[in-house]
Amino acid sequence: MTDTPLSRREEDDAEAAEYVLGVQDLAERSATEARIKREPAFAIMVTAWEVRLEGLNDDFAPAPAPDLMPAIEMRLFPAEARQAAPARVRGALWRWLSGAAVATAMVLVGLALVVPPTPSLVAILATADARLSYEVRHFGNELQVSRAAGVQAVAGRVHELWLIAPGAAPVSLGLLDAPDLVVTYPRPPEGWTLAVSIEPAGGSPFGTPTGPVILTAVIGADI
Amino acid sequence: MSDDPVAELITKCAALDRAAFRALYRDTSAKLMGVLLRILKERAEAEDALQEVYTRVWLRAGRYDPAKGRGMTWLIAIARNLAIDRLRARPEATSDDGLDLVQDTAPRAETRLIAMGEAKRMTDCFAKLEPDRAEAVRGAYLGGLSYLELAERHLVPLNTMRTWLRRSLMKLKECLDQ
Repeated sequence: MTDTPLSRREEDDAEAAEYVLGVQDLAERSATEARIKREPAFAIMVTAWEVRLEGLNDDFAPAPAPDLMPAIEMRLFPAEARQAAPARVRGALWRWLSGAAVATAMVLVGLALVVPPTPSLVAILATADARLSYEVRHFGNELQVSRAAGVQAVAGRVHELWLIAPGAAPVSLGLLDAPDLVVTYPRPPEGWTLAVSIEPAGGSPFGTPTGPVILTAVIGADI
Repeated sequence: MSDDPVAELITKCAALDRAAFRALYRDTSAKLMGVLLRILKERAEAEDALQEVYTRVWLRAGRYDPAKGRGMTWLIAIARNLAIDRLRARPEATSDDGLDLVQDTAPRAETRLIAMGEAKRMTDCFAKLEPDRAEAVRGAYLGGLSYLELAERHLVPLNTMRTWLRRSLMKLKECLDQ
């Protein structure tokens, strides 16, 4: 087999293919995922491989799925769900929070200012000494997160922002590796929790927080 | 867009249409459950992952672009990525049933692909690869096998497997993109 070295572009394309194929180990996958978020040109290569290999999808035989829609909706739209089962839902939320390292952080909560044309404050996530704080605002169809104090995580680590519907697992909103993060997302309802955890560079590889949770805030909570 | 009803439903989800979201679940959850079960192999975990997949679908629907691919392709990519992330995060990185899976599914993939006119090119391109390498590509894509597991199955060093697969993928690309 001839071993001509690959060009930079070919290397990138091979990495995109390996990612789509799913053969990488955890660390490689998480590095590639970080590139997808960071580099639009690389993300296009990944999509191209997804489309290129879509013929293989026919071999996934359908399997009966239970109706999980009620649980999914409860997670995404808890306003209605809360009316149905308030005690259980709250219990689950606090169980999750007590499991996280909330002791190191103080919870500051910003109440919504109902003034439509300007971004409205959803929450402030800050440490007790306020040396690190993020402010979360909602405007139109976006959540705007800005670092009001402090610096990003040390090299090799990153702050990751999570949104937690009552009783549900955390969902990542993105990495706080720049002073500002804008996410397309509707206004999260009262009772949902925002949290920041420290993750390896590229973000949590698991889809749930793996590092210490350093900041949390319950939206609309009056503490 | 009527030739891709799934894409249409995802686009409606981006506009926060919850009825469309329910219809999307009704129409696509069995397929995605099939994907998750095939890779994760445990029903309880697959069901948990299915909830996570549809949560992501709703939250990311705004990023879906019908011009860049079919709706089902986008959904399956989300499901596969989640399943593979979970698989790689498991403490024991190797699974014993991978070999059976590869050998068991390869002929079926072939037959099913041949049955589809559109996918015939894919079958032809796979046929141009050496059989064991084609099998490795399928085993990875369909069963979630890692480089490490593929190297063990095929009794070659990890780096050799990486070289094999990278070259096979580039061959496939060349053939598929023609």
